[in-house]
Amino acid sequence: MLESAIRVAHLSKTYNGKVRAVEDVSFSVLPGEAFGFLGPNGAGKTTTVSMLTAGLIPTSGRAVVDGVDVFRDPAAIQQRIGIVFQESTADPDLTGRENLELAAALFRVPRAESRPRIASLLDRLQIGDAAHRLVKTYSGGMRRRLELAVGIIHAPRVLFLDEPTLGLDPQGRAGFWQYVRELRKDHGMTIFVTTHYLDEADAICERLAIIDHGRLVAMGTPSELKDRLGGDVVTVWTARSDAPVAAVLSAVPGVVSVTRQEEAYRVKAPRGESLIPLLVDACTRAGIGLTGVSLKRPSLDEVFLEFTGREFREDEGATATDRAVRIGQVREAFGRGRR
Amino acid sequence: MIREFVALTRRELLRLGRNPGAILTSLLLPVLYLILFGQAFNLQNLGGGRVDPAYFLAAFRGAPSYFSYFAAGMTGFVSVTATLFIGANVIFDRLFGILKRTAATPAPAASIFGARLVAGSIQPIGLAFLVLGLSVLLGRLGLSGLEITASVSPLGAVEIVLAVVVLSAMFAALFLAIGFSLEQPQSYFAVVNTINLPVLLTSAALYPWGTMPPWFQSVASFNPITLAVDVLRENLFAGARSFYPYGPEVYLLGLLAWAGAMFVVAGLLARRALAPRR
Repeated sequence: MLESAIRVAHLSKTYNGKVRAVEDVSFSVLPGEAFGFLGPNGAGKTTTVSMLTAGLIPTSGRAVVDGVDVFRDPAAIQQRIGIVFQESTADPDLTGRENLELAAALFRVPRAESRPRIASLLDRLQIGDAAHRLVKTYSGGMRRRLELAVGIIHAPRVLFLDEPTLGLDPQGRAGFWQYVRELRKDHGMTIFVTTHYLDEADAICERLAIIDHGRLVAMGTPSELKDRLGGDVVTVWTARSDAPVAAVLSAVPGVVSVTRQEEAYRVKAPRGESLIPLLVDACTRAGIGLTGVSLKRPSLDEVFLEFTGREFREDEGATATDRAVRIGQVREAFGRGRR
Repeated sequence: MIREFVALTRRELLRLGRNPGAILTSLLLPVLYLILFGQAFNLQNLGGGRVDPAYFLAAFRGAPSYFSYFAAGMTGFVSVTATLFIGANVIFDRLFGILKRTAATPAPAASIFGARLVAGSIQPIGLAFLVLGLSVLLGRLGLSGLEITASVSPLGAVEIVLAVVVLSAMFAALFLAIGFSLEQPQSYFAVVNTINLPVLLTSAALYPWGTMPPWFQSVASFNPITLAVDVLRENLFAGARSFYPYGPEVYLLGLLAWAGAMFVVAGLLARRALAPRR
């Protein structure tokens, strides 16, 4: 078994000798792993995917995918990998089935295998009823599912998904990832995904890399990255504001910091859920009555903000107030200016 | 490679069949030429019947009328108008991501290019014979029409079909070369419009051979449309061979040379366009 499904060493791409799109990027993805690549617009995500899928020649560096040097043997790489591009690439003047038949022929899927595979994909991705309709009549969600089917028609060992759910509604996104999860469970393929949706990355990926201005700025499991923010925030509301609440809370083992915020105290700790009973105990013993306790785990939005210095472009769910609160929280946790 | 080529050719033909508008557009210009220009520009009416018919016969290189001479020219011109959109399809396929998808498969560039070339060369055959048929029909309707005065031999028929196919393949390759080299539809149509008229106007499709100055005859004799049209005229009109220095097979060879050169250029440009970007 290969040690890495994807191994990238010092990969760089400079356009026209001056625009550095990707700079000295190195990472490895384990076989069967789902690896997320996050970054703001223009960070170098698509440039990296293009290089890893033999669509773009790097200025320097090396990439090995499924044991094959990407830049020495592009055709061998293309046979081993599947790609779901961020834009629709299916032929709108062909039917869904015709698009899949064409893809099967281009990937040299044996005829005996292609027919049942196409039938199974159409059925599984719920486009069977529309298989005989021209793709130009498909909805956005159906087109995305067809893109996925085309991307995996040849049962690739590594699947690259470049912002595959861009423009889909939440239901469409959830459905899309459900299919990816099922396919992954059945085929055990390695997944490399770039996405603008941090909740997706959090839910799908076992490990993430954050890229900004062409450089990798952080890498780890979603929980490792969140832990680097200093942990959870437990907010404690008390009935009395004159008690030495901050001192009592700070004395509890595991507490990193305590800050007062109007009527509440914000307690930062790596594992907030196990700290709550201890905090309640300490306050009860000190005779401090509590009126409420809440736990908030850091999200990838905050991780992203921490490592790139800006929020994610398409942070759809959050209101401006939410964002302001979260920015405040992260700044507070790390001290202003710390990057 | 064969399987990919067949699958891609099927795709091109399916799309073609689903866009009859493109086929009708290809016919529009030649048909307008036939029913307007061809009817109005009736050269043998010049001289009011006082000109020796032998003069016209020589001027039209054996064709019984200007319209007959010109209809053969329009049959050749269909190869241009019917392949024009082939290159535009490459540009639209690039804009719609279809080309990117195809290039991301292990399909060799030769099969991607070859499928477009073959599919692009098939369509004009039917259209060329439609134009020929319409030209004959116009005569039956009492208008100026094409009179086929020779009895076309099986070999002659094969030569005619070959001339149309090779001319179409040559223009398909030319337009594919332009399509694979440019990224914007407007640039494509600008270039193609710049090419089309000079190609038509430096050929012997429209002008009577006998009225051209010698220098123009030299230019026109190398024009691929002229080469194809000469094959048609030599086979369609009785006694035409005496007006041509060479037999139709020589013009076919010349046409093949043009097509071969164009295939090489277009194939290289397609390979460059489909290779990983730098």
